[in-house]
Amino acid sequence: MQLPFGYYPVGNSLYPLALDLFMPTVFFFFFGAAYRTARYFAFYNKPFVPYTSSLRGISTREKIKDLVNTFANSSKLGIKRKPVTTAAGLLMHISLIVIIFLLAQHMVFWAYYIPPYKVLFPLAIPESSVDGELAFTRASLPLTPTPYPFVHDIWGPLTVILNGQYITYLLMILLGIYLGHKFHILGERLALRAGDWWFFVLLYIDIILGFLATSHIPNNVVDYDNLLGAHILVAEILIATLPFTRGFHMFEFYLGKMREWYFTVYRRGEK
Amino acid sequence: MTQAIAEKVNMDALKRAIDEVFYSQIDSTTLYYFQSCVNCKACEVACPFTPTSLHYSPVNKAEISRQLYRYRFSIWGKTIGKVIGGSKKYLTLNEAETMVDYVWHCTNCGACMFVCPMAIDSGALIDLLRQVAFKAGMVPKIYRDIADLEISGKYWDVDFFKNAWNSLISKIKDAIGKEVPLDKKKSEILFYASLYEAMVYPDVLVKVAKILDMLNKDWTFMSKPLGIRPPIGLVIGDKEGAIKVMQRVYSYFTDISPKYVMMTAGGFEYPSLRYTMHETFKVKPTYEVVHVTELLAKWYENNEFEIEPLDEIITWHDPCQLGRRGGVFEAPRVLMKALSKKFKELPSHGVNSFCCSRGGGGCGVPTMVENMAKTLGIAISEDDKKFLDSTIEPLIKAGKIKVNEINKVKAKEVMTGCPVCIESIGFSIDYYHANSQVKHIIDVLADRMKVNKK
Ligand code: SF4
Ligand code: SF4
Repeated sequence: MQLPFGYYPVGNSLYPLALDLFMPTVFFFFFGAAYRTARYFAFYNKPFVPYTSSLRGISTREKIKDLVNTFANSSKLGIKRKPVTTAAGLLMHISLIVIIFLLAQHMVFWAYYIPPYKVLFPLAIPESSVDGELAFTRASLPLTPTPYPFVHDIWGPLTVILNGQYITYLLMILLGIYLGHKFHILGERLALRAGDWWFFVLLYIDIILGFLATSHIPNNVVDYDNLLGAHILVAEILIATLPFTRGFHMFEFYLGKMREWYFTVYRRGEK
Repeated sequence: MTQAIAEKVNMDALKRAIDEVFYSQIDSTTLYYFQSCVNCKACEVACPFTPTSLHYSPVNKAEISRQLYRYRFSIWGKTIGKVIGGSKKYLTLNEAETMVDYVWHCTNCGACMFVCPMAIDSGALIDLLRQVAFKAGMVPKIYRDIADLEISGKYWDVDFFKNAWNSLISKIKDAIGKEVPLDKKKSEILFYASLYEAMVYPDVLVKVAKILDMLNKDWTFMSKPLGIRPPIGLVIGDKEGAIKVMQRVYSYFTDISPKYVMMTAGGFEYPSLRYTMHETFKVKPTYEVVHVTELLAKWYENNEFEIEPLDEIITWHDPCQLGRRGGVFEAPRVLMKALSKKFKELPSHGVNSFCCSRGGGGCGVPTMVENMAKTLGIAISEDDKKFLDSTIEPLIKAGKIKVNEINKVKAKEVMTGCPVCIESIGFSIDYYHANSQVKHIIDVLADRMKVNKK
């Protein structure tokens, strides 16, 4: 089947299309990020600082301690007062980071576009827990063009937990909890935004697509190519729209917390 | 109440107010608050109003301002947002009603910002809505009347106020056994107090004066107060009114030109007169505004006096405005630790201190507001009465959490540094029959200080 996409010879699969759209995705992302950042500059007013306290000053050491606390406070308090959603949220973030940046297949993808990424190869997480070997390189010599000895990982028995399949199951459950949370919000008639659905639903679909592709469900090459292509395409939609969605919090989180610390600790200069 | 207010709403005024507030107040900080929320609802746990209803959670209240923002400042908001409901140009009558209800269910305590993973100050966004409500004439009349009295300066014509202030000055005179230094320029310390404080805890103010005298400080007091609780305008969304009052305060402070302006109240006056006032006028003052605990902690650490400790469990309630908004956490603890070896922290303290649900925007315990209005001859309308009654439920719900925490540490005495916290925690302690008392720290400290002779 020839997909109708202008003059583009996509053949029978979404896969090459997805790969070729990666660079435009990155371009869109940077364009959006620049737009978002430029707005901050456009609205920037230099704050007027009347004075910082001279009465009871705060040492540099305490300032740094406070910086750590600033970042940790929301998790600390959340675990105490809202343990289930906080724990689910934290675990989901960790799992997502691990799977996006350390899953062996993803690492090969990143290293293709950003070659220095390969220094992280020793940390690669295998797809399955079978025996600590990377499943997709197991049966034969590397199938990817990478010349690196990419077979035994350093995780040893930890691979029982740290493997693509397990983390994906976990992610599907955790994101399911969050989606349930969204329905609860809807039921309570509390504020819910279109952007919430956009990000969550796309992420969920993307994880399922990735899971189906790597697990070869259904087990034939055409479907594999299409599923993998769709997985990458959905990820590309997520990346391209990041600057316009809540997904951008992965960058702004640092900005917000640094700002809080700067205003409440550094600028007041008191304890 | 909101229904009654809504019936009198001038929709044109409301539209104008929305435009004015939203177009004039956007900066990179508010922009960040508007667009970076991930709707994770972590802020729910911090807000003293969520035990009443999840509709009062910070993110839910702030969403109205986000919708108004999106229409004005985002491409999505102007296009798709209109269709899918994420943005609004103006508010309908019903929505305006909800907005008014929401803004009086936020004390601008700042707790949501510290627990928000994105550090979003929902209180600041709700404050914008409060300004809209004020400009549209949707503020409860009782608050507006009290604020107007402060702004016009006519509070000094009210005999009740004048007598309260003059009687405070004569009590101070009796306590120190000499004339009270009044409006003395270039004193080291300007002992600042408001009319409100003179009415709710005159004894605390007398004790502060006694301490200053005992420690032989160069201090002065005010012959006339600078307002009822200046700048009340900031609390009810009246920025312009607040600026007028702050001008009066700033010119008095500058005229006296002390080294320290020392406050006993750690409510919204503290960050307002310390930061907001100077930031608004863009002036670097020659004095420093401090809370009484800051100076006392410094003098204690300099061995100017000793503290005879109590033998009981005591705890400190961090007032939101003194702590989170003002940055003062350590100084009261220096004194509290000296006051008792059995000093214990409340489970929620420091930046996570749980708000008593009354401060800025909660505007005191309703019975007290009613009494104040009565003494001022301000008629309490049916609407006002309903409004004040509606503020009781959050007070009871948040009070339960506070009292449970006090009971958990088994504190005999809860000390704090803000008149409204004293009132509201006192209310909760009575309501739940807790075996504890709440006091201004000075109340206890003054009687246990021993001056070291140099
Ligand atoms: S905690 Fe912060 S990011 Fe989460 S919903 Fe509340 S305001 Fe939004
Ligand atoms: S500022 Fe305080 S009262 Fe207002 S929304 Fe935030 S936590 Fe609630």
